[in-house]
Amino acid sequence: MWTILAINSVTFGGLLFLLSAGFSLIFGLMRVPNLTHGSMFMLGGYIGGSLIATYHVPFWLAALLAAAAVAAFGGVIERFLLRRLAGSVLAQVLVTLGIAFIVSDFSLMVWGGDPLSVDAPRALAGGTRALGVFFPTYRIAVILIAVAIAAILWAMLDRTRLGAMIRAGVDDPEMARVVGIRVSRLFTIVFCLGAALAGFGGVMGAPILSVYPGLDFAMLPLALVVVILGGAGSLPGSLVGSIVIGFIYNFGLVMVPQLAYFILFLPMVLVLVLRPQGLFGRAAP
Amino acid sequence: MASEALTLDRVDAHYGDSHVLHGVSFALGEARLLGLLGRNGAGKTTCMNVIMGILRPRGGAITLFGRDISALATEDIAARGIALVPQGRRIFRSLSVHENLLVAARRPRAEGNHPPWGFETVYAAFPRLKERQRHVAAYLSGGEQQMLAIGRALMANPRVLLMDEPSEGLAPQIVAEVMATIRRLKAQGLSIVLVEQNPKLVFEIADDIVVLNSGRVVVSDTTAALRESGVDLHQHLGIY
Repeated sequence: MWTILAINSVTFGGLLFLLSAGFSLIFGLMRVPNLTHGSMFMLGGYIGGSLIATYHVPFWLAALLAAAAVAAFGGVIERFLLRRLAGSVLAQVLVTLGIAFIVSDFSLMVWGGDPLSVDAPRALAGGTRALGVFFPTYRIAVILIAVAIAAILWAMLDRTRLGAMIRAGVDDPEMARVVGIRVSRLFTIVFCLGAALAGFGGVMGAPILSVYPGLDFAMLPLALVVVILGGAGSLPGSLVGSIVIGFIYNFGLVMVPQLAYFILFLPMVLVLVLRPQGLFGRAAP
Repeated sequence: MASEALTLDRVDAHYGDSHVLHGVSFALGEARLLGLLGRNGAGKTTCMNVIMGILRPRGGAITLFGRDISALATEDIAARGIALVPQGRRIFRSLSVHENLLVAARRPRAEGNHPPWGFETVYAAFPRLKERQRHVAAYLSGGEQQMLAIGRALMANPRVLLMDEPSEGLAPQIVAEVMATIRRLKAQGLSIVLVEQNPKLVFEIADDIVVLNSGRVVVSDTTAALRESGVDLHQHLGIY
């Protein structure tokens, strides 16, 4: 029972990582609090789920298509709305929150109020026996994929010229442009990447959580908690924060269900008071 | 003067409501070094910002090898071949030395006559940077940061190099090193604008001198002519 709960916690942590890595990059690098991020997750789930359930598209192809669609949607928001609001946090909060409400209503209109349940890919259905316990294979796969994506993201940011340019743009956007870096193009790339990860996470999460109206606003605060806990802009922070929150959320629901949300947000409050930049974050300059 | 690398023609610039450059004109000849002097607030750094497209001029024209660049975005101006060593160095602090150079690297252009710049040549010119290539730039000393800022500008293989007070805040022997570097770059045919507060340094190294006072050009001549005429620049430069 505890082992299963732990596996579920890590799986949920993996989903949270896919959700929050993009949120963290966008917030840490561009200083945009993107409140549509939960909507990206839900949209990904709906689009991918429909492709799988209605059009019988293979699971992974559907996940990639959904990620691409959500990335395109994110790109439009960044280019045509957020670009005009650079530096104005309040306007960014209001606009992204407004879009989140629009997406929420739009999804209700298109996909209705019933949860959309999605089957795990057939190859990963069933269980795997290890340590004398049966683990759902799909959940193990989610964990492995999240770890792989974390490694790829880290390598991209830390080991490539593109990653160095992104970090230069965060350090000093004006000077980055002086040395010829096309900062606004980089920000669009980061925003689309973050949206794609959230959309992909939405599909990955669909067989576990299903997709339902309100999933967007259920996930958004979790992304916020993870990023505040781990530190904005820090990938290791997102990873550790996601797993910690995954554990707190799952164990809290089982052990003290009436206090689940309380103990979920308690660490966030503590971190904000004691170490506002987050566990892995750099202090604001 | 053979051909002009960079010209400012009656450039006007404002910060909000305050008019900071009043019809500033000067020309940097190819492979020459122009010293831009003036006291604090005279408009030297504003000139750099206007050339780089960081601040849009309200009037006048800026040309690079005969082409108007005054309406271009900063990154396009960089792509046309102007590099800036900014005041305060402004290296990318969280990047390593190597990454600072990497993000600014640009292929040498066909018409370049100096040997092309790349990691090898920059590291050869600044051996200290090579020793510290894996270090995070924030932990370099002031002199090393200045070397890095110059190396970063060179990585773009520029045709025109703008240097905004590269001697600021450095120990005398480091200043001498920086000046030697500038001399070498000029000898290689790079066209350079050197912004300085210290006229002694500029008289030693510049071919032409422009003095700004309250956003206006008050002196503009060759160094030789100024030295001969013995013009007193102190009225424009204040006391230091």
